[in-house]
Amino acid sequence: MGLIDIIGLTKNYGEGAKAVAALRGVDLSVEAGEIYGVIGLSGAGKSTLIRCLNRLETPTSGQVIVDGRDLTAMSEAELRLARRDMGMIFQHFNLLSSRTVADNVAFPMEIAGRSKVDIMKRVMELLDLVGLADKAGAYPAQLSGGQKQRVGIARALANSPKILLCDEATSALDPQTTQSILGLIQSVKDHLGLTVVLITHDMRVITEICDRVAVMEDGLVVEQGPVFDVFTRPRHQVSKAFIEVVISRKDDSGAWGYVPRGLLTQVLFLGPSAEDPVISEVVRRFEVKPNVLQGRISHIKGRPFGIMLLDLTGAPEDCRRAVEYMRSLNLVVEVLNDVQHG
Amino acid sequence: MFSTGSNLWLMIWPASWETIYMVSIATVVTTLLGVPLGVVLVVTRQGHIMANKLVNRLVGLPVNFIRAIPFPIFILFVIPITRVLTGTSIGPNGVIVPLSLAAIVFMARLAETAMLEVPYGVIEAAISAGANRRQIIWHVLLPEAGSGLILSVTILVVTLIGYSAMAGLVGGGGLGDLAVRYGYYRYRADVMWVCVIILSFVVQALQNFGEALARKYNRR
Repeated sequence: MGLIDIIGLTKNYGEGAKAVAALRGVDLSVEAGEIYGVIGLSGAGKSTLIRCLNRLETPTSGQVIVDGRDLTAMSEAELRLARRDMGMIFQHFNLLSSRTVADNVAFPMEIAGRSKVDIMKRVMELLDLVGLADKAGAYPAQLSGGQKQRVGIARALANSPKILLCDEATSALDPQTTQSILGLIQSVKDHLGLTVVLITHDMRVITEICDRVAVMEDGLVVEQGPVFDVFTRPRHQVSKAFIEVVISRKDDSGAWGYVPRGLLTQVLFLGPSAEDPVISEVVRRFEVKPNVLQGRISHIKGRPFGIMLLDLTGAPEDCRRAVEYMRSLNLVVEVLNDVQHG
Repeated sequence: MFSTGSNLWLMIWPASWETIYMVSIATVVTTLLGVPLGVVLVVTRQGHIMANKLVNRLVGLPVNFIRAIPFPIFILFVIPITRVLTGTSIGPNGVIVPLSLAAIVFMARLAETAMLEVPYGVIEAAISAGANRRQIIWHVLLPEAGSGLILSVTILVVTLIGYSAMAGLVGGGGLGDLAVRYGYYRYRADVMWVCVIILSFVVQALQNFGEALARKYNRR
């Protein structure tokens, strides 16, 4: 049992023959203290999924169990109390434009009926936490996108929730601001011991801060696991497509119209193997000439890994043995033009 | 050009007060009843916080019905109701009832439009913070629509001034009535001019005031 258990969740929009299935039986378990990412293309159902977690959407069937309590069985009044334990931030921030930054952060506490003195103290604490203490009296329209999302985060944390839901929270932000917001989410999560569920269509968000990931397509979770595993050994086509965006293999090799002469081979170096002189060892042992087309080091949650794209030329048998040798060293080796070379 | 009769201002002052009396009471009544009706029209819409097709239709129906009736006919049509509510069907008090009744539905539509400008995402943010429906209406919907609602009331007042000119039909008085009875039927060009000038100044001033106030409260 995780902190959040989603069991057989389905959601249809409309009824009868015109019904559209947004979720078609999703099972997920989110552990306390982790950052769980859900990635998928538009229409995959990820937004519906996260909105079912605080019942902004009412599921058609299935259960959402948070902290041992079934959200789908709750009355309206119980649900309102349960929602105070879950903060949510949004792609378009959804701040109250008629209230100042401080009053926006105060809003969930006013709703909860806390005393004015309490609220004022907590507002300043929260604005300090998100680095906006000097903007307390500003209106949302006077802030940048990143600042607005910081207010959103402070507001979401106002009633000290256990869970933070992030609905495409960085999708409207530029890459640099995205980095800083992700950094803030990570730090408040560590600081306050939160559990975070986020949805995104951007694999970089997943590799930057998520511990585990679920890949969604057409209302179903097609693959899930620790980010490092899914990233380095993707099984499903959709996962592979997302990963390619990050390592941008297709873009680069396609761009200069390179025609491989031998085996086009992608090698992933994970953990300690990244430090071994693998390529020179391959050259020494086998009658092959690797032409390095591309190489880079990336990070998944701070863990380094290398990606190298090689054009292995030589006798087919030698190339095959070289690939097998690299695999024996626990490298993830994928031959990309396997069709021609059998 | 003007036959400035000594009694000009003696006519203008009481007529001005009659207009102010009718319009201000009708504005208060209309706002107090029209805005809540607008709230009902918004929150019972499909996909909103109290979605209810039946209620939305039921409220929307008289709104469209009353708007379809020309105002002079409406004044005469509601005389029985006017009698019950104010005890008279003539004079300024006889006009306030039809004026308010007709304007409530007008105001409801204006308020509805203003509140539909509030992005639903903001309401969802309040829902996910644990707000109940009453809190969403009082703390989100109305304040977020504040500047739009101020403009709606401005339009309302200006419209009420226009409609109040038809008060003469039941002896309601006011500047519009004065312009018709003296300015037109008795060829008093001076009365006509003064009425027109006062009305256009007042309307212009109200419009400017309303817009300035709306700007002050608009933080978007």
